[in-house]
Amino acid sequence: MMEKKAIVKNETGIHARPALTVVKEASKFKSEVLIVKDGNEYNAKSIVAIMCMAAVKNEELIIKTSGVDEEAAAVAMVKIIEEGLLK
Amino acid sequence: MFKFLKKNKEEKGMILKSPVVGRCFDISEIPDEVFSSKMLGNGIGFESTEGILYAPVDGEILQVFPTKHALILKSAEGIEILLHIGIDTVEMKGEGFESFVEKGKKVKAGDKLLTFDNDLIKAKAKTNLSVLVLTENEIMESVEFNFGTVDKNNEVIIIKLKK
Repeated sequence: MMEKKAIVKNETGIHARPALTVVKEASKFKSEVLIVKDGNEYNAKSIVAIMCMAAVKNEELIIKTSGVDEEAAAVAMVKIIEEGLLK
Repeated sequence: MFKFLKKNKEEKGMILKSPVVGRCFDISEIPDEVFSSKMLGNGIGFESTEGILYAPVDGEILQVFPTKHALILKSAEGIEILLHIGIDTVEMKGEGFESFVEKGKKVKAGDKLLTFDNDLIKAKAKTNLSVLVLTENEIMESVEFNFGTVDKNNEVIIIKLKK
């Protein structure tokens, strides 16, 4: 299992459109991809879960991945959250 | 309604009432492809004349966005419904929106969920046209929509559930 921190940097946080971006990225990997916010785990491959997480700017998230491509998945998820959501 | 309940015994289904007084229309008319292309799921577009969002079904609030422009409701049957007021309204950061519910609250169809200032939305965001999305799930068999002028008692979505 891999764990990495990611900070939400885009102005509007993870609402509908950014949530879809996150889910699409997570779905590229075979590994289980979870995002932990305030101690709660959200499945990064579920649009409802990620929208329910309602992460706002400057919040710290923990990416937890486990599976054959867990390292690549964790790295990609940090990158998409910290850079991919900025316009 | 009674007739539907009877029918319900043979065919599992659920009905969503209009979330607004105003009109309901095809989701493809929403000027945002995240919604119009149904990437998040199937649903309807709606426009409120009075600036009040009502619960379309009995259920539980899964989340109210911090900016109060959207919320997620889970119906008793397990269908998750995103209600999103206007487009690009997230950038208003809550201005003009008021929430009457919070995460975890149980609601009944017709309960007031949010109020919003249509004039302010029209001035500050892309549009006040809003969406109801039935997020992807495995329990829906088929779904039908009724479009047109509505009040909050009109049945706008009829869902047949898998047995």
